[in-house]
Amino acid sequence: MVPPREGVRTFPPSGLAKTELVSPRTIAEACDVLSRASVEGKRAVLLCGGTDWIVDRHLMAPEKVKPVDTVIDLTKVAALSSIGFHEVDGARRMVLGGGVTYWSLRRDARVLGTVPMLATMARDVGAVQIQTRGTLAGNLASASPAADGVPALMALDGIAVLTSTRGERRVPIDGFFTAYRKTVLEKDEIITAIDLRIPSDGAIVTWRKVGTRLAQAISKVALAAVLERDASGVVTRARFGMASVGPMTAPLRNVRTLLEGKPLASIDRLALDAAVAKDVTPIDDVRSTGEYRIHVAKTLVWRALHP
Amino acid sequence: MYIDDYVVPGALHGGTVRSEVARGRLRGIRKDPSFDWSGVTVLTHEDVPHNTVALIEADQPILAHGEIRHCYEPVALVACEDPVRLQHALRAVTLDVEPLPALLTLEESFDRRVVIYREDNVQKRYLIEHELKEPIEAILARCDVVLSGRYRVHHQEQLYIEPQGMVAWWDSVGVHITGSLQCPYYVHKAITHAFGLDGDRVHVTQAVTGGGFGGKEEYPSVIAAHAALLSKATQRPVRMIYGRKEDIEATTKRHPARVDVTTGCTKDGELVAVDIKCVMDGGAYVTLTPVVLSRGILHAAGAYRWKHARVEGVAVATNTPPNGAFRGFGAPQTIWAIERHMDRLAAKFGREPLAWKREHAMTLGSTTVTGQVLRESVGVDECVTRAMAASRYDEKRALYDQKTEGARVRRGIGASVFLHGAGFTGSGERKLKGKVRIDLETGGRIRIRTASTDIGQGTETVFRQLAADAARIPMDRVAFETPSTTAVPDSGPTVASRTVMVVGSIVARGAKLVGDRVRAFAAEHKLPASLPDDFARAGDALMLSRGERVSELVTYEPPVAAPWDDETYRGDAYPCYAWGCDIAEVEVDLDTFEVKVLGFWAAQDIGKAINPVLCAGQVEGGTLQAIGWALYEDIVWKDGKILNARMTNYVIPTSKDAPRFDTILVEHPFSGGPNGAKGVGELPMDGGAPAIAAAIEQAIGVACDDLPLLPERLYEAYARAQLRSEATK
Amino acid sequence: MIRLTVNGHPHEVDAPPLSRLLDALRLTIGLTGTKEGCGEGECGACTVLLDGVPVNSCLVALGQCEGSEITTVEGLAMGDELSALQRCFVESGGAQCGICTPGMLVSAEALLRDNEAPSEEEVRDAIAGNLCRCTGYQRIVDAIGEASVKLAMAKRPQGGE
Repeated sequence: MVPPREGVRTFPPSGLAKTELVSPRTIAEACDVLSRASVEGKRAVLLCGGTDWIVDRHLMAPEKVKPVDTVIDLTKVAALSSIGFHEVDGARRMVLGGGVTYWSLRRDARVLGTVPMLATMARDVGAVQIQTRGTLAGNLASASPAADGVPALMALDGIAVLTSTRGERRVPIDGFFTAYRKTVLEKDEIITAIDLRIPSDGAIVTWRKVGTRLAQAISKVALAAVLERDASGVVTRARFGMASVGPMTAPLRNVRTLLEGKPLASIDRLALDAAVAKDVTPIDDVRSTGEYRIHVAKTLVWRALHP
Repeated sequence: MYIDDYVVPGALHGGTVRSEVARGRLRGIRKDPSFDWSGVTVLTHEDVPHNTVALIEADQPILAHGEIRHCYEPVALVACEDPVRLQHALRAVTLDVEPLPALLTLEESFDRRVVIYREDNVQKRYLIEHELKEPIEAILARCDVVLSGRYRVHHQEQLYIEPQGMVAWWDSVGVHITGSLQCPYYVHKAITHAFGLDGDRVHVTQAVTGGGFGGKEEYPSVIAAHAALLSKATQRPVRMIYGRKEDIEATTKRHPARVDVTTGCTKDGELVAVDIKCVMDGGAYVTLTPVVLSRGILHAAGAYRWKHARVEGVAVATNTPPNGAFRGFGAPQTIWAIERHMDRLAAKFGREPLAWKREHAMTLGSTTVTGQVLRESVGVDECVTRAMAASRYDEKRALYDQKTEGARVRRGIGASVFLHGAGFTGSGERKLKGKVRIDLETGGRIRIRTASTDIGQGTETVFRQLAADAARIPMDRVAFETPSTTAVPDSGPTVASRTVMVVGSIVARGAKLVGDRVRAFAAEHKLPASLPDDFARAGDALMLSRGERVSELVTYEPPVAAPWDDETYRGDAYPCYAWGCDIAEVEVDLDTFEVKVLGFWAAQDIGKAINPVLCAGQVEGGTLQAIGWALYEDIVWKDGKILNARMTNYVIPTSKDAPRFDTILVEHPFSGGPNGAKGVGELPMDGGAPAIAAAIEQAIGVACDDLPLLPERLYEAYARAQLRSEATK
Repeated sequence: MIRLTVNGHPHEVDAPPLSRLLDALRLTIGLTGTKEGCGEGECGACTVLLDGVPVNSCLVALGQCEGSEITTVEGLAMGDELSALQRCFVESGGAQCGICTPGMLVSAEALLRDNEAPSEEEVRDAIAGNLCRCTGYQRIVDAIGEASVKLAMAKRPQGGE
């Protein structure tokens, strides 16, 4: 044992100097701690990889800081990193634990074998150091419209499993967000899993991220898409998730309505562009312009149909 | 050890209260009475003995007084033991500023919407006139082909990965300052002035410095003054290490510029006359602007032969943080303009651009626009030849001219031809009289004492190499003293691509002198001295016999040349020039207008590569910074504030964005440099952006006059060009 | 009190659990090889291995490291001898100002432990979270490639069997 050095003390960010950190081992334990904190009036935060939350705390203006009493560290809950499969109505679905990291998605043979688009997306998230920590639950909970994981989960008809001491409820990803940076997550709930539909054989599955550079980039526009057709070329399923084009990740419902039930070959570029324009409301910001984003959004959707 | 690694027992953390308004009258500074101020020290301009940053002009206060001239201007300093409490204390100091109309761009300043500096906002003017027996307008009027263009370049943040930082403390000797810096004597001068101290009471030492690129040339004087003030007031050491946001916001950046170029040619494509008007944005205070502008206009005519030239430079003040030194120092800005202009000229004459540039490039015997005759070391043509061969330029140029219908990406290859004057302009070195000391030590060792800092470019290695060669001893017996004003003479600043050529030459000379003295002594006493251990014995015997230090202090003497006239800007502007030809191959995605750099060939005539690995490292690193400036980097302003003061949003290339570089070191030795070396540090910054622009132009047919070449702008330009061509159908 | 192992040595760190791992390493434990360049997980100068995987230590709460094994750049050398990777960096100009070097070495170490013969693309991907402003990356990429070759050769059996 190396005795403690006569070292310099550390100074945690504002509002966190007296914060306790608890590391539950099971989901039940985590829900319990969270629920008790709520009951006791303690300000509690769920923490996984911290790649969003810790940056926000570090950059927060001191006057905006709200102290936190308890941080519930979920990185030791092994069950949250599970990757499994089940069947629903004869269709195979994949269940990813909320704590599954992008690094796992990139490397896991089961993911690569069934939904490689998740691995492609994971490679575009930040860089290795971010991928090893960033989690799907964290991505969902931060509710940034620029999130990379969320569009992929949305296009895969993802259902978020929300667990608390009161039980479990399931919310489709495209109903998870209510406004900019706001979700339906209750104070005592943990996103424990995301249940995804595995695209059928022959599906055209797309991931494309257009960022400020090829790594460590916040997207200007990112698109995940799953397109399925029947034997005659009629679109049976068109599901999307698009990042950075509005206050929330965009499911592109008008585009979906335009496509589903129609022969793919009959879809005209102008009609598609018009549908995209109805589904997105991109702005000018520090990274890009609304005009560029609309152009890229339309182009990426077209390419998703004609790879 | 980098400055943040030092453990300084008893140190306080220092921070700065800055203006949030770009221009205004500072009516008061208020400390929130509900804040617990115990153990917190707050200083304002009243606490500064001499409140100016000593540099070229005395216009920049160390702490603002009465007037605010830019956002982030330092107004108050705060010190405290607890860095988190410090952040709260900084917020508890509020400034009462009555806003005034601010000038936020060089256009606004040049147009004199408001006057914020002297009578006309002008910080500096220069004029170069070459062979003008009549006004240039008259000469141009007689030319068959006259072409005008306006070219713009933007700010660039140095973004060294180690943020700026200083530690200061006082004792009976005086004030001690250690920090991340390029020029210990600049800081020394600023501190002696700020506190009214004798030079020997100010000790400045360079800590290992994590990148500078000019950003740590003059700015460290400001932080040093701030840390020293807090330290003096609290009688404790003070650490002032900037966080990344503060660093991006408050420190100097590359000067934006707007360059108007008008050229006149004969109908056969002979270059007759060039008329250039360059306006640079100096920011709120002068700092190094006159020198940046000077270098800018001296490079504005590019690597080409002109019969007549007029180059006018004007630097104007704006209410933005002062701009300062960044690798290239004015030349990348004007070379962007002349290169884009030459590309347009080539197109006008239906000529292939690189062949056109090569035809008009200077050669031995050419005369520059300041009347300097290039008597030696002009390797530009070899640079072009070798870059073209390595990149298969002609083959690709022809291939990429063919456009396939329905392609989703388009490729292009483009080139730039450029130069960079090595060393200080004109009489700079003569005035500076840079010095180096070489000491003989026991065991046949020598120690180099120089103020030239290693900021990653390998100064230490190259100097030790030069000294070892000159003294004819093994390199592991050569030591490099940490640059501290107490231990090294003033060799001049680590800037201007002068370190190897200028300071290196006196390092070599000094080492040779010391080596010769040992060998002369050995010969006199019939001792052997050729093998290293014999040399060591002879050296020890010499030191013993003398009973005193064996040391050589060598002063730089610039090579005898035609005189330089600072008034008329005529004569030998630089002892010599380094030359380059850059070729960039790009692929543009027609869906998103993202630009991928597929390959980059940089042929650079640097005289002699003393250390080829370090040399190539400078070329590769400098070129990627130029590519960053061209394609990714952009400071986003709003009302004089920076919106993207974070590494997330100030975008530099990652390893995935960077191409492979093919560095071709061309050697046309310069007799005035050690072993023929010229400078290499800045040259690579000059050619990258125009080469990329030329390649993009071939790829998508869009000729960009302004930086940066962001996808949003390329998309817009391409869409406009499509509309225009559709309209003419 | 948080117990963790750093470079093979057990440590007990008495610091608030929401302290950054970076600060615990640099300040309390006194290992200053890991650097802070941005504090927001962009530059990678603070990269360490946390239970074998590269992370930005500026984004890790100390309390999350209970029982974990941390490897910093100081843990890569073998006593006074440089590792093969470090030697390749020095010889090929992979380090200029040196501030990004510790993070680069840690990321490279993680890559080479995982992938003995990485392609250039894989190397660039592995260090994409380590920003360098001095070198243009090429010499770093090539140094890592050379190191992988040297390490592979060192593993080969000597002579015939």
